[in-house]
Amino acid sequence: MTMPSAAAATSTAPRPLLRVENLQTHLVLKRGVLKAVDGVTLHVDEGETLGLVGESGSGKSMTSLSILRLLPKHSGRIVGGGVWLDGTDLTTLSEEDMARDWRGRRVSMVSQDPMTSLNPVFTIGDQVGAPFRYHGLVKGVRAAREAAARVLARVRIPSPEKRLDNYPHQFSGGMRQRVVAAMAIACSPRLLIADEPTSNLDVTIQVQMIELFRRLQRESGLGIVLITHDLGVAASICNRVAVMYAGRIVETADVRTLYRAPLHPYTQALLHAIPHLGRKRRRLHAIPGQPPSLIDPPVGCRFAPRCGRRSSACDAAYPPEVEAAPGHKVACWHPGPGSAP
Amino acid sequence: MTLLAVRDLSKHFSVGGGLFGAGGTVKAVDGVSFSVDAGETLALVGESGCGKTTIAKLVLMLERPTSGAVEFDGRDLATMSRREVRGYRRRLQAVFQDPYASLNPRLRVRTIVAEPILAHERPDRATVDRRVAEVLDVVGLPASAAHLFPHEFSGGQRQRIAIARALAVNPRCIVLDEPISALDVSIRAQILNLLADIQERFGIAYLIIAHDLALVEHFSARVGVMYLGNLVETGPTEEIFARPRHPYTQALLASVPRPDPDHRPSVDAIRGEIASALNPPAGCKFHPRCPRAVAACSVDAPSWRRVGRDHRAACGLLEDE
Repeated sequence: MTMPSAAAATSTAPRPLLRVENLQTHLVLKRGVLKAVDGVTLHVDEGETLGLVGESGSGKSMTSLSILRLLPKHSGRIVGGGVWLDGTDLTTLSEEDMARDWRGRRVSMVSQDPMTSLNPVFTIGDQVGAPFRYHGLVKGVRAAREAAARVLARVRIPSPEKRLDNYPHQFSGGMRQRVVAAMAIACSPRLLIADEPTSNLDVTIQVQMIELFRRLQRESGLGIVLITHDLGVAASICNRVAVMYAGRIVETADVRTLYRAPLHPYTQALLHAIPHLGRKRRRLHAIPGQPPSLIDPPVGCRFAPRCGRRSSACDAAYPPEVEAAPGHKVACWHPGPGSAP
Repeated sequence: MTLLAVRDLSKHFSVGGGLFGAGGTVKAVDGVSFSVDAGETLALVGESGCGKTTIAKLVLMLERPTSGAVEFDGRDLATMSRREVRGYRRRLQAVFQDPYASLNPRLRVRTIVAEPILAHERPDRATVDRRVAEVLDVVGLPASAAHLFPHEFSGGQRQRIAIARALAVNPRCIVLDEPISALDVSIRAQILNLLADIQERFGIAYLIIAHDLALVEHFSARVGVMYLGNLVETGPTEEIFARPRHPYTQALLASVPRPDPDHRPSVDAIRGEIASALNPPAGCKFHPRCPRAVAACSVDAPSWRRVGRDHRAACGLLEDE
């Protein structure tokens, strides 16, 4: 497998990298089977960032854990659909294959909390060097340290050689998240899944992380799935955005279309519900009610009980996904422009 | 009319010594003054470690100031009798960030909401029940909610319960410490609108501690921007957001990612990370990160400049206007 350069990725037609087809993931809980991901279809091209936006419980994190095959061991199960990365269906691989050749190697993850992603009793050099040794990319401790220093330099950790023997608590929050990012890109993966990578960071550090992801992508043609609830972060980093609600994607579009001309009432409601800097309004448009339970989801549109355009059709059946414009898909019985936020 | 005033308030913590040898003093809050008028909202914003939560603790009397004073209705808390302090605690309530941590999971909602009432008086059962039903109604929960436990509610509903508890004793001021940051996006607007309604209806003053600038612009009448234990800029919200004068405020505003694909947060407005509070930079504490810093900034602590009507900034590069 050869790594395409960033230039090649941008000058020719985009090459598909990840394809998720009708993914269904269930969580077996005491109170019933939770249909956490209920028929999710999406794709990511090389060098592209797809934002997966939604509230807690919408299934965005379960989608990412399904891609990585990191679901809770006893309760989580992929019950349908597939996840193709570079043409290989990851859901059919054995755990050994997944661990040896894929996870951390071709697809890796940055999660929200850099403190729990790092082991407090091992040095940064050990931890950042680990993926190189595990995947057999270097031989020996010294080579792993050198590789670790190189990748720490790529994420702009100042004087990386000197920091290899430091422990995580000796790093600030922003620097720790850089270390986590360094571990994720260590083996030059094709796809990076970033689950709320900036949510615990202060805004002045957040902007540095956003810049880091953009640069890593330019340099290597990495595909990124960015999972976030923050519409501001998604707007500043994504090429395309998919909005999830109650286990399903309700709208997907390129980032400009999604923010400027959303068609799904939920997307519109989300954009209305947040305060926009510089556009002060007397009241925010709250979305009434709450998302439905995914143990026993309604047969109709899942947003219908909270939606201003609800009709009898909405309660009768789930709306099929239609392509309103090339690349702009929406699942709604009454799609249409809303008022400006 | 000034309800709550903080005068030259400082809180220093001594840390370390011992095993790791790095003893010293953290000046978590270092000479901060501001005031909140009755029925008004003041927001304190800043990054983690700037001291905004320590100020909330000092105001709530969960910590004692090292120096300086907190005044309520013109009375210094330090000189109040025990009886007066009880009265103060009744008139000043708090709503915290995480409604999963701030509500006791073993108590029913009635007990939770009645607790502050019973701490201050001994009314009969029927009076308590009536008051609990009343405040639950204010926050948009049915009276039947009183018989349930916190785990039977969603995050947004729990925050409503926390607000009901704060309202139960008719406070004049509520300290809101990141009241919506633990909630989902679609729920946040519900809680913000509720808090705005409550303020309008009961004339309660809010001291809100937040890091989300868009929220602050929307919600608050006046803003104080904090950096490493100091206020660096204060003024009316509209003034500060339209014409931020302190380089730190400007950097914060430029860094915020906005829900607008054509807006790029600026990486150049600020450098590096917040300095250690244990060993803060000399002169202006912001100077190592400031894109406009000059030599003098590392020597002299900046004094306050008037840069507009009721708008002040502590930056040596600014002139009085």
